[in-house]
Amino acid sequence: MTKRLIGVFTVLAVLLAACGGTGTSGASTAPSASVATKADIKVGVALSLTGVGNAYGPVQKNGVQLAAERINAAGGANGAKLQLVIEDDQSTTDGGVTAFKKLVQQDRVAAILGPTLSGTAVAAHPVAQSAQTPVIAISNTGDGIVGKCAYGPCDYVFRVSLGESAAIPETVKTVKAKLNLKNVVVMYAQDEKFSSDGFAIFKKALEANGITIKKEIAYSRNDVDLSVPVTQALAETPDAIVNTSLAGPAIKVLQEVAKRKPGLPVIGGNGFNTPAIAASAGAAAEGAISGAAWYLDNPSAENKEFVAAYKAKYNADPDQFAAQAYAGLYVLLDALKRTPTPNSVLHDKLKAQIELTTGVKTPLGEVSFNKDHDVTQKIYVVQIKGGKFVPIN
Amino acid sequence: MADQIYNAVFVGSIYALFALGFTLVFSVLDILNLAHPAIFTVGAFTALFVMQAGVPAPVALVIAFVVCGLLGVLLDRVAFAPLRRRGAPPLSAMISSIGVALILTRLIQLRYGPDLQAYPAGSVPSGVVELGELQLDALRLVIILVALALMVGLTFLVRRTSLGRQLRALAEDARAARLLGVDVERAIAATFFISAGLGGVAGVLYGFATNSPYSQMGLPFELKAFTVMVVGGMGSIPGALIGAYLLSFGETASLAFLPSELRDAFAFGLLFVVLVVRPNGLLGQKSPDRV
Repeated sequence: MTKRLIGVFTVLAVLLAACGGTGTSGASTAPSASVATKADIKVGVALSLTGVGNAYGPVQKNGVQLAAERINAAGGANGAKLQLVIEDDQSTTDGGVTAFKKLVQQDRVAAILGPTLSGTAVAAHPVAQSAQTPVIAISNTGDGIVGKCAYGPCDYVFRVSLGESAAIPETVKTVKAKLNLKNVVVMYAQDEKFSSDGFAIFKKALEANGITIKKEIAYSRNDVDLSVPVTQALAETPDAIVNTSLAGPAIKVLQEVAKRKPGLPVIGGNGFNTPAIAASAGAAAEGAISGAAWYLDNPSAENKEFVAAYKAKYNADPDQFAAQAYAGLYVLLDALKRTPTPNSVLHDKLKAQIELTTGVKTPLGEVSFNKDHDVTQKIYVVQIKGGKFVPIN
Repeated sequence: MADQIYNAVFVGSIYALFALGFTLVFSVLDILNLAHPAIFTVGAFTALFVMQAGVPAPVALVIAFVVCGLLGVLLDRVAFAPLRRRGAPPLSAMISSIGVALILTRLIQLRYGPDLQAYPAGSVPSGVVELGELQLDALRLVIILVALALMVGLTFLVRRTSLGRQLRALAEDARAARLLGVDVERAIAATFFISAGLGGVAGVLYGFATNSPYSQMGLPFELKAFTVMVVGGMGSIPGALIGAYLLSFGETASLAFLPSELRDAFAFGLLFVVLVVRPNGLLGQKSPDRV
């Protein structure tokens, strides 16, 4: 009952904040304490600004800085400004651990967002867990990040980045209904964890939906050309091709399919959700389908505001990583507003409030956490039409 | 079947184009120039840069050749010449070239970021050539023809011209070549110009074919080029060509006959067998008489 009440307050709080109000909504849960606490609230952010993850870290930094700017301009958390402490995790486990130790021990932050890569996260999160500092993962989509973690209890870890194991089954269900799929060929890069994990999830989802896999074709992420495996796939005359890979190989697959069998649907995972696909593959990308946590042209008010502000500040379109980083800070803000002493080194109260996150409005849609601390949000199955992502579910 | 043979020829041509410049420097100077993948990338991005300013694709290709060629000469002056003067071992030169590769890659990232880029819409030539039942992508056909032309041109240059004679003399023995009146520094500069220029052209053509240039696009070629060189015979130019097509046909054939997971195992297993039979590679020679 109280949970539901707080949920209602949460929605009210965000609505008020969105209207430019300074957020008086915490009245019932965060009494006079919030008035006294005007000191800045330090929020740690660990991102891959250098190393292999620097394809993502810099845009995440953009996203989270934009969020902080907008939050502080709108009065921060009950009047206290959010102060970001951004550390480079160097895309390595050591770098991640060092960054987390600094944030926890030296900066004594209220909570941490990050790190960028899943491999770094499972090494760095235990640092925050043992110091009982809440973490919000903003880009890790692998398993073992929240809920059940290999390193032991991880009840201080939350995740706003939708996992592939949630997005892919939704994609398969939708395309089965829309395209009347009976059989497919599945292609994947066997030497890339993201791609081969996606392959396993797709395989399970396809089988569960009664779709026949005519052939499984493995390639390498280092292949300079994919015409050979695509020709092989088309020889099976499938109803569609499923390709789980990052954008680079996906572009090559789309180009080949468009040349040899125009109009054949190509279905993918999170790797498809970047504007680079439509820009590079051009007309060849038309019709490509994927499941996404966010898409650029989502007409919701929060997303339109976010996209416009991002464009104005950085002179470029945001991507999903920027959107999730931005959303992560708003989710944290929502909990901070309900926490009586957010700057206390005893973070259990903040953690308890993050657990109560329900329907926070973000560019991703309404974000809540389930009992495993994993995100629940609407999953957008999108198709590229006229160079834009358009939802089909 | 015809489809797959065409695919294999295309992939082989791309491997060969990349490996040519790589092999040339090794054959003349005994240096593994690990900056070659970065120069390949610079080629693709030079074309992107000028095409965004409205320069047509064929002109961009020539500009990329010249820019990369000059960059190659600069690379030699900065990274290799000082080491050469001090008689440093080849390993130092290799490490120096890794440094250059990192710098070039980072510079590209500073300007374009690490993401995939695309050439301006409609600027890359496209079309289809019909050959009986076979539909050939025109751009790929052009790439195959350009690759073949460059291979023939390079072989002619090395075998039949006075510069080629100088290069071969240099490959044999730098000191003897100098005593015989070869302007060694000039010949080395020419080697780097041609090698890097070819690398740049390969980058542009591959960039066109995928239309998704990115800052690390040269890296996947490095391992393939190593393989191609070792199989063909370190430093042998015709050997590199044969190695390139052997690798691409091996990869294609294994996909046709084996489960796809075993493709690399098959392709590299084949190469292993070649090396067991001919430890110096197909056209390799024990003496430094190469080029």
